Amino acid sequence: MGIIPIPLIIWLIEDLLYLIIFPGLVTILVIVIVIIWLERKIAAKVQMRFGPLWVSKKIGGALQSLADLLRYSFQEVIIPEKADKLAFILAPGLMFAFATIALIFIPVGPYYSVLFPSYYTILFSLALIIITPIFAITVGWASDNKFSFIGALREGFLLISYEVPFLLSVVSMIIIFRTYDYISAVQSQLSFLPGIILNPLAALTMLIVMIRTTGRFPFDITEADSELVLGLYTEYSALFFGVGMATPYVELYNFSLIFSLLFLGGWWPFTLNVMNPIYGLILPGIIVVIKAFIVMAILVFLRAVYPRYRLDQAVRSGWSYVLLLSVLSVILSVGEVVFLR
Amino acid sequence: MNEKVYNIDDLQNVNVDGEKYIILQIGPSHPGSGHMRIKVWLDGDIIVKVDPDIGFVHRTSEWLSERREWIKAVPIVERIMLPDTVHANLAYVLTVEKLLGIEPPPRAQYLRSLVAEINRITSHLYGIGIFGIFLGSSTVYMWAFGDREPFIDLMEMLTGARITTSYIIPGGVRWDLPNGFKERAETVLQYMERRLKDYEDIWVKNPVVQARTINVGTLKKEDAIALGVVGPNLRASGVYYDTRKHQPYAAYSNIDFEVPTMKNGDSYDRLLIRVEEIKQSIRMIRQILKDIPEGKIVADQIYNQLNPVMKKNYEEKKRVMFPAFMIHMRPPAGEAAAKVEAGRGEIFFYIKSTGDKYPYRFRWVTPSFRNLPYFTHVAVGHRLADLPTIYGSIDYFPPEADR
Repeated sequence: MGIIPIPLIIWLIEDLLYLIIFPGLVTILVIVIVIIWLERKIAAKVQMRFGPLWVSKKIGGALQSLADLLRYSFQEVIIPEKADKLAFILAPGLMFAFATIALIFIPVGPYYSVLFPSYYTILFSLALIIITPIFAITVGWASDNKFSFIGALREGFLLISYEVPFLLSVVSMIIIFRTYDYISAVQSQLSFLPGIILNPLAALTMLIVMIRTTGRFPFDITEADSELVLGLYTEYSALFFGVGMATPYVELYNFSLIFSLLFLGGWWPFTLNVMNPIYGLILPGIIVVIKAFIVMAILVFLRAVYPRYRLDQAVRSGWSYVLLLSVLSVILSVGEVVFLR
Repeated sequence: MNEKVYNIDDLQNVNVDGEKYIILQIGPSHPGSGHMRIKVWLDGDIIVKVDPDIGFVHRTSEWLSERREWIKAVPIVERIMLPDTVHANLAYVLTVEKLLGIEPPPRAQYLRSLVAEINRITSHLYGIGIFGIFLGSSTVYMWAFGDREPFIDLMEMLTGARITTSYIIPGGVRWDLPNGFKERAETVLQYMERRLKDYEDIWVKNPVVQARTINVGTLKKEDAIALGVVGPNLRASGVYYDTRKHQPYAAYSNIDFEVPTMKNGDSYDRLLIRVEEIKQSIRMIRQILKDIPEGKIVADQIYNQLNPVMKKNYEEKKRVMFPAFMIHMRPPAGEAAAKVEAGRGEIFFYIKSTGDKYPYRFRWVTPSFRNLPYFTHVAVGHRLADLPTIYGSIDYFPPEADR
């Protein structure tokens, strides 16, 4: 090892470090654990309770989610006799995998363009994010349970009605920034104004779609426990259940990263444009992740305020208000591009 | 060995339309069912038929009470209606008093009304909390159950027990008002008035709640009367009927209160009426604590049965110990019936005595059982997601219906 200098090793494996440590798998795990803990703590604070406190009492029960993850890992895996076994086992894992892979195309710093040069990161990340709900429907189909099946049907209805507004809101930002690349999008925000000021309608649409797609309240419709037990995951147990339950949080993380890159100015106020792993990736990355985390915290707070909508109400609002909002945001973008620049 | 065994449920499920409908068995172990099974026929997302299947927690309260001394039925009837114990206790004792021909003194009447109203508030908070979790709001669930606590503490201060108080006995009540009760009660009432504003902000005026409940599960006035619905659900449909007003018992004839009614009879009205009744109960508790007369807390017939030690205890601790009369009580032969407006509606009691140690026939009808037609008549035509809304809004409590 003495022959090869350490910076060279880092240079060779830094793309692996990007995927595995920051902002890859390890960061996702930490963020998911912290956000689940935070969600429970915020709800507990509103509801005059303590929240998780049994595990690691000194730090406010922060390790509770980790303990839950360990518990899921060692539980017995129960597969229903009539289930479609292959789909039953594969679907949650694939869902998690695609949600995680989408992160490859979400750069958190300018240096990223050196690691994976691409001018179409927005398109690739959207394509991967849109794949995940298909596996959610597979989950509902595979478990041979009426409640899971109804949950899958609901997921399908909502999926179709909210994906169009989602894509349109991103398209309106693509029109404004005139690029398919997150890095150029952020850099044009750094030189002018953040996207949320340029097109607040698109930001609003995106927020609503984020709430819906990740199953936050008041759109917690596919897992409505008083109607469908646990919706899609009624028959699941052990690690499959844990993975299935963690996937919405990974999606939430992806969406929040996209939101902070497209609307909150990315790594603003860190404007140094250095092609270097530390100044080009880690420092701006931390800023982006913190922004995303704040967005996530605001979204999980909604649990304490709202009950859930009915399916038909959510679908109707998806095809009417939210779609109208997204179309207006595209018009606004076109108008800005035509008249302002 | 190839014979197929049909059970009765399979036969019931046979439908002329074959596989057109999804048949969902909600319960008995389901987060949204309670101790009952609701069989739902779904056409897509629309409910075609609902068949509530009750009886999973039948506890033979009538059978048990017919084989015990009269006083021992008090804890049995209480345990059937756990969120609403005082009213079950009161209804039974009123019936026995009619058989015995005892009239409790005014102070005992006021104390009965006091503990009944405290209990009504806890019962309504319980209902609102369950409604909250059925619509997915854990906040309202936690708040309502947390805010029951001050009132349960009040009951504990007055009666010595939190839930199953067994406070009311034939001829009076068991304990007098303790020192400092009035001040404590005033603090709790003011707290609850503050909290009701919070409930309005986060729950009653929440746009999602309004979207989910308005025009859902509507029961018209005529239908409500025809189906024999009772209590707040009846008044939410616009019927002005309250046993406390129309056939006053305890001290209600001396108390000034209003009976709130609503117009539409939908789930939102059933939520509002519970909030309004909590306000009325707060008003009544204030009046009772202000107007409560001095005097004995048991009728003279019971007081004269006390032995010297018990009398000393009564004078010092203001506590009625059971005289031997209570266990050897043999009400004269005859029939008696009584009605009480409990938190969820009207309890009806009928008892027949043959002058024996035990009741000859013991019959009671609980409000939840009478509200059961709501499921079959109201849920049809709504969406599956409306079933928890209807269930939660009628404040149905399966153990109470099963008895």
